[in-house]
Order: sequence, then C-alpha cells, then structure tokens
Amino acid sequence: MSLKSFSRARAIHLMLVYTGGCNGCDIEVVNCVLSPKFDAEQYKVFLTWNPREADVLVVTGPVTKFNEEPLKKIYEAIPEPKAVVAAGACALIGGVYKNIHGDIPSEEIMGPVENIIPVDVKVPGCAVRPQDLLSGVVTALPKLLNAD
Amino acid sequence: MSYITILYPTLAVIGTLVLSFIIGTILPGVERKYVQARIQQRIGPPVTSPGIMAPLKFSFKENLNPNSPLPSLYKSLPIICFIIVFLILLSLTPQMYWFKSFASIIAIIGFLKVEEIAYVLMGSLSKSVMSLGLPFPDLAKGAAHPSTERSYLEDISSKRAFRMIAFGSFPLYLSLFIPVAISQSIFLSDIVAFQQANGPFIFTVAGLIGAIVFFIGYMILLNEYPFNILKTKADVIEGPYMEYSSKYRSVLYLSRGFFMFTLGVLFSVLFIGIPPNIFSWGILVNIAIAFIFPVLMSIMSAFSPVFTYRQFYPVVIATSILGVLAIVIGLL
Amino acid sequence: MVEEKKPNKQDVIETEISMGTVHPTALEPYRVRLFVEDEIVKEAEITIGVNHRGIERIMEGLPVEKANSLTEKVCGICSNAHIWNSVLVAEKGLGIEIPQRANYIRIIMEELERLHSHFLYLAHGSEVLGHETFSMRAFYIRETVMELLRMIGGNRVQYGASIIGGVRPRCELNEMRIQKIAEGMDDVEKGITKFADRFVLDPIVMSRIEGIGVIPQKQAIKLEVTGPTLRATGVNQDLRMKMKEYEPFDFDVITQDDGDVKSNLLMRVLEIPESIKIIRQAIKNLPSGSVVDRSWEMFDCNTIKSYIEVPRGTLYHSYAIEDGRVRNSVIRTPSMTNIGAMQYACIGDHITDAQLCIVQCDPCFTCTDRAMKIINL
Repeated sequence: MSLKSFSRARAIHLMLVYTGGCNGCDIEVVNCVLSPKFDAEQYKVFLTWNPREADVLVVTGPVTKFNEEPLKKIYEAIPEPKAVVAAGACALIGGVYKNIHGDIPSEEIMGPVENIIPVDVKVPGCAVRPQDLLSGVVTALPKLLNAD
Repeated sequence: MSYITILYPTLAVIGTLVLSFIIGTILPGVERKYVQARIQQRIGPPVTSPGIMAPLKFSFKENLNPNSPLPSLYKSLPIICFIIVFLILLSLTPQMYWFKSFASIIAIIGFLKVEEIAYVLMGSLSKSVMSLGLPFPDLAKGAAHPSTERSYLEDISSKRAFRMIAFGSFPLYLSLFIPVAISQSIFLSDIVAFQQANGPFIFTVAGLIGAIVFFIGYMILLNEYPFNILKTKADVIEGPYMEYSSKYRSVLYLSRGFFMFTLGVLFSVLFIGIPPNIFSWGILVNIAIAFIFPVLMSIMSAFSPVFTYRQFYPVVIATSILGVLAIVIGLL
Repeated sequence: MVEEKKPNKQDVIETEISMGTVHPTALEPYRVRLFVEDEIVKEAEITIGVNHRGIERIMEGLPVEKANSLTEKVCGICSNAHIWNSVLVAEKGLGIEIPQRANYIRIIMEELERLHSHFLYLAHGSEVLGHETFSMRAFYIRETVMELLRMIGGNRVQYGASIIGGVRPRCELNEMRIQKIAEGMDDVEKGITKFADRFVLDPIVMSRIEGIGVIPQKQAIKLEVTGPTLRATGVNQDLRMKMKEYEPFDFDVITQDDGDVKSNLLMRVLEIPESIKIIRQAIKNLPSGSVVDRSWEMFDCNTIKSYIEVPRGTLYHSYAIEDGRVRNSVIRTPSMTNIGAMQYACIGDHITDAQLCIVQCDPCFTCTDRAMKIINL
C-alpha cells in the first residue's frame, strides 16, 4: 500500500448535504457521527461542513427543485478524488415523493440523486441506520484509495 | 576548528526545528484522542489521524482554484504563516541569540502580528460556495430589503480578525512583557541568562500570574474553542480557511500543530529559562510544556461553548488587568 | 416582565448575511437572511420552500389506510405524531372506539417520541452553542430512547405504530418489553438528572444563553406561537390537558418565565421527567385486551379536524373521506406558526447567536413546507 492510499484510508472527511428529505436520515447521519455510541471518528471518519475539505459527500433526500443547483455546486467544490454516498430510500429512488404526479414528470422532485450527480454507493433504508451508513462510507473507500 | 563551530550550531538548529515539527504534528491527535474523546466518553480517532494522516491526504488531493478575487495571494497566505511560525521558533533557539535584534521580544511580537493580519486577509479574500454561492431565489418580490449589500460569511470572520488584533491579543502581548519587566531587557539571551542565574520566573508571583495570562492569550491566538469566534461553526462554518484545498490545506493543518509547539517553547524560554536545544536535556522540558499546554487547552475547550463578545470582552479585560498587575509586580 | 423589542423598520441596512440552504447548524434546508449592523442582527427573514414535496397532494385520492402511513413521511422526528393524528381524524369521522390498551400503547409511543425529540433539541442546541461534550451526552442518552422505539416499532425512525382501530399487532407490549421500557426509563431519568445538574450549574453556558433570543409573552401570543416555545414565555397552555387520550394520566404542565434560550432549554429539560412519569404510569396500569379493533366500517364523511399536542406544539390534520379515499387533506405543523417567533427572536442579538435563536423554537421546516404564511410583525 502506497503512502497515498495509506493516508487516505486514515483520514476520511465526510460532508452531509440534505436535499429535502423528512429529516429522519439527516438525523441518523448526524447521530452516527456525534453520538458516542456510534462515534464515526473511531473509524477515522470526520464530519466537516466545508466542501473543500470533504472526501465523501453523503446526500439524503429526494432532491427538491430548489436544492438541485446547490447540490451541483457543492459537488463541484469538492476536490478529486471524491465519492458520493446516497443514503436513504428517497436519495436512491425518490422514495414516496417521486411518484407525486404518477407518470407525469414531477416539477418538484428532481431526484433521485443519480439524476443530478454521479453516485458511487447506495445505502438503502427508510430511515437509513447509522451502522449501514458507516459501512456505506467504507464501501466508498476503494474508489478513493485507488484514485491517483 | 572553525568548521566545527559552524557545523555544530547549524546541526543543532536544524535538529531542533525538525524535532519540533514532528512533535507538532502529534499534538492535534493527542488533543482529540486522549483529552476530548476521553471527556466525551468515546473512543476517538487514532492519534496519527488528525495531525499526520489528514495533511498527508490533503497533499495528495486535486488542487482546485479557490473562489477568490486574488487567488495567488490567498494561496500564499498559509505558507507565509508557516514561515512566520518557523522564524519564531528559529529566533527562540539558543544558537541564534547572537543575532540580538532578531532574538528579542519585539521581533517575536512583530511575527505574531503578521500571523494575525494573515487571518484578516484570508477572511476577506475567501468567497466560499457555502453562503452566497448557493443559488436560491430569495430576492423575489416581497423580500425584505432587496437592495442591501450582500456579503459572504467570510467577511464577518475578516471583521472579527480585525477585532482580534485590536483587543484579542492583549493578554498574550502583556504576558510577553512580564519577563522583560523582571529582567529589564528585551533580548532573549538576557532573559534566559537572568533566569539561569536567579531561578525561573514561573516561581515568582509575577511569573505565576504571567503564566495564567499567557495561557489565555495562547488560547485566543490559536482560536481554540471558547475563543474561536473567528471560525465558529454556528455562523461562519470555518471562517478564513473555507477555500483552501489540497496542499494549502495540509500546510494549514501542519502549521497549527507547529504553532502550538512554538508557543509552548516560547513559554518555556520566557518563564522557565530553558531554550530549545536538541543537544541538551533541557529540550525535554520544552516538549513537556508543549504537551501540557494543548492538553490543558483541550480540557478547557471540551467544557465550554463558543464565547460571543458578551463573554469575550470581560475575559480579555480581566486577563489584561492581571497582566498589567504582573508587569507592575515585576517592575517593583 | 421582559421588555418588548421592535424590529427595525429602517430602509438602509448595512449588510445582509444569508445562511443556507446548507449550513452546519441547520439540520434541514432553509434560507435565513440576516440583516446586520456591526454583527448585531436588525432583522431576519426565514424563507422556506426548499423542502416542498407536496405530500398533501400525494395523499389526495389514496385509500385512508395508505394515506395514514404516508403522513409518517412528513417528518422524521415526530413521525408517530403525524400518523397518530391522521388516524385520529379517520377514527373521529368513522366513530371508532379503540381498545384502551391500544390507546395506552399510542401514548407510550408518543411520549417516547417526545423524549427523543427533546433530547435531539438539547443535543442540537448544545451543538449550535459550540458545546460538543453536552451535545454528545444528550445524543448518548437519546440512544436509549431510540433503542426502545426500535424494539416496539421495529424501526429507529419511522415506526408506524398506529392504524385505524388501534395499533399494529407488532407493537404489542409483552412482559419482556414492559420490563425493558421500565429499565430504559430508569436509565433516561438517571441520565437527564446528571445532564441537568451539569447544564444548569455550568456558569459559562448559562451566561451564554441567558437573555438571548427573548420572546415576550405578549409577542408570543400575537405571533400565535405554540408548544413548549409558548410555555417558555409563561403561558400555561398544553393541549394534552384537554385531550381525552391523556385523561388517565397525571402530569404537570411546565412553564418558564423569560422566553429566552435558557427558558427554552430548561423547558425541555424539565418536560422530560414529565414524559417519563406518563410512560411509567402507562406501563404500570396497562389494560389487558386486544390492541386492535378491526370491526369498523368505512363510509363517507365531510372534512374532519383533529388537533393534538406533539413535541413541538400543536399539530392539525384534516381530511374528508370519499369512497374510502382521502379528500382535501390539510396538515399544519407547529413550526408553521413558530416561524414568526424565530424571526422575532433573532432581532438584537449577535450573529453567532442568531442560529441559536432559531433553534430555540425547535424548528422543523421539513414538516412545515407545504404552505406560506405572511407574518406582520
């Protein structure tokens, strides 16, 4: 293992972007970082709110119309290599909200996240469990480690 | 013979600097893992992660051009900060004491001022995506005050950095003058010689008060938790550092640990009288001080919320009065 | 009595600082524009609408049972409150009497939810204060409550306990579960007592939150504030006292006097033991019998309304039933009325405290994003 991947595996900065979900996933994500029970820092995962510092972007929610542009901007602000984790049913398929107008394309829900930015890891659940999220971030690791 | 007289001090200076740098990288990890995580009853990150692995990782990341009106100046600021810290440490090494005006309190204060001004520049040059950059149609019809000047979050932290220069750094500078008041000299060589002859200042009344004032000033200068209004998460997210990525961010991370160590060494030179020299046992005292200060600091920061000006002013005024008192006692 | 502060109506304001839609101290997307002069907030404007997902629109025309379980997705914090109130609407319209045991289990779920919501409030509030240690303590105690909710409902966030006619059979409380709830309550009580001692006796934290974000009583009534935020200004009003579901239980309504951040935080700290009291009474006197009564018949009814008290205030649900399907669904959440208070509380405080002033009203814009309210200050 080169020094590059060695250091990358030992400091992972995670940024959370909520795009209009029901709060359930957001709080579970914050919970898994801030609660001493899950304590993501012991797995070398640090929470940051600065896109320039982040490696892994965790997106929750079905991406509502007003959140589409900010999400893109934040994604662009993250330096390579980066990975995107879509957490929760809404981020994966649009959840219960995607089907708002049936087959007519919705103007309110622009998601799922895949439509807007490339997604590397999908963590299912409604709401996503903290343990699943941590394992999802670990699944994203090979992409970070093997990048130049 | 002359060859050895040059080689030996050069080796000593380089050795001291390298050792300080290495210890400086461990300090953030020690703070996070052994103090804060323990207080918060969790396992915490590995010791190497925040101080060593994170800067290494950042140095391997892609460098994005910062959103800034003057990108090159903005990017050069962390390097300037690092060099300043380096120069402060250099002026503290006993081998440099022959260069009188460099190894004096005035020079050190001048260097520290540059460090503070760098925050002002960083804050005003950073235009992060996280505030105004996020598009949102809030200037719609019916919005309050649509014609107001809109400012980025970092502008607030730039203004705050100005205030820090105006009043926040008082305690540290006052405490730096306590040894001067006692030893009647601004030169480090005289201060060290005085203490080696008459015993460390920390065991005198003035020195003891000075140590407390120095500690508060140390926390304010490092923007650590109660005093981090410059970069508090509640409004300015990360403040002046928002736009740094890759190498520049890693320099930023490294210089923080290095700065912590340097200020610890500054304390041990001024109040204990032991300059950092890798070829003497005295360096163990320097290292011990450099560890004790961050540990105390992170205990303080784990137990206190961010101070707004309402709490900040009284603390600064009280410690400044203490500092003046200590100088007066020292002069008597 | 706290003096009233007037929002500044001047035209020229020095600078505007906008936070959001993504900001560390806001757990959900919204935009707040702060108009500041010398770092003091002169006026604040909160814009919601980022979260608009049209859940009432989706509910329209769905079978009542399906719509009920959909209301849970309105909010991830007070999910049980939404499904409970939605079910209550249908039960009111169809005249269904639910078994007492089911009612008790619903109350237990609701009070557990109040516990976890209040702990989240304390944790989030401490985080905004910059006090990581308190935040982690609160999250740690909250974890016990989350485990209990997971045990009863089967999921940590969306548990879907209530159905028309009672509660889901999987939420039946057997001896082992009751035992676990009792033990959990002991742990939570121990935790909150320690937390409260530390919190109240911490002079630095108290000096930081005292006198910040004041909402005077008169203004709070004028702005139609509900829930604990109203009670923190000294108004003794709790809908739980009037709800027939809460009749068998004995508890006190907590009020505080000042209406600042300190009162609001203490309000939650003091409400937690009351909830624990209710849960203890419920598990002690849990009636026997079945938990669900499925012998009801569906018929059409006009718009039915139901109000309940949820952790953040008063929740309103209403819909009509036509052919077993939901019509004219309206949901109004407590944060809707509290937005005015949030804007008002920011005035006159430092920017660092502005987010704290918003958080003190326990915002949940995710719940709220369905309508627009015009506030005349």
